[in-house]
Amino acid sequence: MRSQRVTTILIGLAAAAGLVYWLQSVRSGEGGRVPEGVTRGGTLVATFRTEPQSFNRYVSARVADQLFSLLTQATLVRTNRATGVLEPRLAREWSASPDGLTWTILLREDVTFSDGTPFTSADVVFSFQALYDERVKSPIASSIQVGGQPLVLRAHDSHTVEVTFPASYGPGLALLENVPILPAHKLKASLDAGTFRQAWPVTTPPAQLAGLGPFVLREFVPGQRLVYERNPRFWRTDDQGRPLPYLDAIELQIVPEQNAEVLRLETGAVDLITDQVRPEDLAALQALQAQGTVTLNEAGVATNPEMLWLNLDPASVSAQARSWLQRLELRQAISHAVDRRRIVDTVYLGTAEPAYGPMTPGHGDWYLPDLPRTGYDPARAKSLLESIGLVDRTGDGKLDDDRGQTARLTLLTTKGHTIRERTCAIIQEQLAAVGLVLDVVPMETTALIAQLMGGRYEAAFFSIVFDSFDPGGHLDFWMSNGAFHLWHPSQATPATDWEAEIDALMLKQSTSLDSAERRRLFGDVQRLFAAHLPVIYFAAPRVVVATSGRVGGAMPSVLAPTVLWNAEMLWLVPAPAGAAGK
Amino acid sequence: MLAALLFVLLVSSGAFALIRLAPGDATSELFLARGDPAALAEARSRLGLDQPFLMHFGQFLTGLATFDFGQSAVFGRPVGDLVRERAAATARLAALALVLAAALGLPAGVLSASRPGFAALVAPVSLALVACPPIVAVLGLLLVAVQTGWLSTAPGSYAVPTLALALPVAAMLERLQAQATSEALASPDLVAAAARGVPRARLVWVHAARQSLRPVLGVAGAVVGSLFSGSLAVELVTSWPGLGRLLLDAVTGRDLFLVAGCALVGAMLIALGNLAADVVRAVVDPRVRDVP
Repeated sequence: MRSQRVTTILIGLAAAAGLVYWLQSVRSGEGGRVPEGVTRGGTLVATFRTEPQSFNRYVSARVADQLFSLLTQATLVRTNRATGVLEPRLAREWSASPDGLTWTILLREDVTFSDGTPFTSADVVFSFQALYDERVKSPIASSIQVGGQPLVLRAHDSHTVEVTFPASYGPGLALLENVPILPAHKLKASLDAGTFRQAWPVTTPPAQLAGLGPFVLREFVPGQRLVYERNPRFWRTDDQGRPLPYLDAIELQIVPEQNAEVLRLETGAVDLITDQVRPEDLAALQALQAQGTVTLNEAGVATNPEMLWLNLDPASVSAQARSWLQRLELRQAISHAVDRRRIVDTVYLGTAEPAYGPMTPGHGDWYLPDLPRTGYDPARAKSLLESIGLVDRTGDGKLDDDRGQTARLTLLTTKGHTIRERTCAIIQEQLAAVGLVLDVVPMETTALIAQLMGGRYEAAFFSIVFDSFDPGGHLDFWMSNGAFHLWHPSQATPATDWEAEIDALMLKQSTSLDSAERRRLFGDVQRLFAAHLPVIYFAAPRVVVATSGRVGGAMPSVLAPTVLWNAEMLWLVPAPAGAAGK
Repeated sequence: MLAALLFVLLVSSGAFALIRLAPGDATSELFLARGDPAALAEARSRLGLDQPFLMHFGQFLTGLATFDFGQSAVFGRPVGDLVRERAAATARLAALALVLAAALGLPAGVLSASRPGFAALVAPVSLALVACPPIVAVLGLLLVAVQTGWLSTAPGSYAVPTLALALPVAAMLERLQAQATSEALASPDLVAAAARGVPRARLVWVHAARQSLRPVLGVAGAVVGSLFSGSLAVELVTSWPGLGRLLLDAVTGRDLFLVAGCALVGAMLIALGNLAADVVRAVVDPRVRDVP
């Protein structure tokens, strides 16, 4: 009897121990059950062009630093780049006051940083404190403001935060998706001492970093690679309660040369490359897709098509010398003279759509497909040019202005950028057909930017990256006082009536809390833009993303990083023996 | 020694001045990230870019005198640390490439001079390698490496970058050595030695080879220079974390202090390379040692 009791107790203890072990292994990801088709584990090898300048996202706006932050830190909310829907992250749920100015955010509980320290509202308050601190001079601070004023944050309790907007703001809480939440216990001392800018340089040992993201940095070899491994304390699970991320690790190899990147992907040495596939690489990758070694995903139409604009500052040197450079008819003529289909077929090898404005189908509901378009019509172009006094007065096939000088303009673009150089060549050829002489000057990027910033140019062909779909996040482009109002930036007062009208509409749409009204107002902005053509667009590429055949769970986005934005959901098919990768 | 120091100082100062005067500055990347004017102005002030050129240059020279090479605007780290790391990586690669190039090129050159059949085989290959631009050569090697698996392309592997640097240099050395050895074999003293019955092999590999090393070592400076200039393309394509790649990042990012630091270290390495070549030449050719 006694021995039976002892045996029962021992069996019970063994069962309890087994249960505890199983529970722990599920939490830590070892031996956890995964759904059919999804394999837990493995190292994804990706390439990236540059290395981070700092591990502190608040002091550097570089793309490499942004990626580091995406992988190791977390934000309160996030826009799902595949669906465009705002998702809860560290914020569990939220509610707004009737006037939309104050938001109460409930934070996830039982969340800890990668070093085990509990996450609380103090970390959120601290993060915004650091962001707005004058001594930090964060380059991202101005983008987390409304009307030039910072948000005000207050902690109600350990897991409730109140955010007050200084003014009504249409995009709402989406503004917070670019603010990674930093650990107060690691960085508060440096903020108090005024040394926050020097905190977390790239020489910081990985063990001293802490974050709420899906991965932690394990190794950084300058100039060569960064290795991230799974954060065992990551708070997120998939929709069936399984712990994330699926991957054991991500190795990011620093490969500055694009041909070398593609070569490595083609041969299976890496699973993922930085950028979208170039048109000239598509054919080779399609052949590999047929073999199953590469997977090509089309993410949609790019949201940052190449732009041609003229310097419309009336005080510019070019405006003083040749007033016709400022005329709407000239811009309309350029738009009519260029065959967009030819650019799509010749430059992009068919992997693009003709573009007529800054918004593309990649912008989702913000795109208006029924906007008026300037079709390919060289005769109309000639007639427009004639209407502003540009006619061939000497019979040499080139137009002359009313002073008898050949009508020519200089177009600056980036040297070595194949797409831009080829597009400019086509534009040059097609403008020559209508008698307009275009001198294309390829320049090194830094020199080009210097010319643009100084207003020392007549026309430019370039592209600016917009990192969100919502135009409320690009007021610096749309508003006449914006620094990125490319054709005539930082105006004290709007120089034209139509710019004043756009200013008024954009202010209304960015402060409206009614999404339907916001879209209607922005539709009016786009119609005004199309009518006055301050920037001319020709083609928007379709974003194709290439991964190795063993990568699963990818949700490609037109916004960079195209695949790693959702790294916690990626998984790997186990490699057959002898294949590349880990 | 003084001339070498002056050379290094001039190169470094010249690089600083050129980048400072070139259009654009280190805030360009912030502009591309749509940094607002206040952030751009703060960055320019922090980097000293709003100061007059002479004042900025004066600060640079003062720093040089105290071995403070400043902070990199692109990497956010002290320039001294960065160039030390990368220069060591480039020096390792260059040294390995030089040894391999010498081991391949010099004997091949001697053989080319003494065996016409061998020369007919090797000379066209050498000419092709010498004429081939470094970026073409390294891309070709990389392609062969990944397609065949014969060479490792893993980050940090020496195989592809070393070969890419060494082969053109080996070809140059082969051509130089072949020419110099031919001239040495035709010199009166070696003709006389042959007439006296000295074995052919000894004539070629001991007397002619040694005599012909002097003109070859005379271009050692150019060889070392070509190793460093060729290393840029090689480092870029093979992702080798060396000085060439660092210098490219610094120039495109208009990182003043980093450009000057890279130029300084590069000039030092070239000066040291020339010094080493002079020492070897003195060891090989007693006539050099006897020159007052």
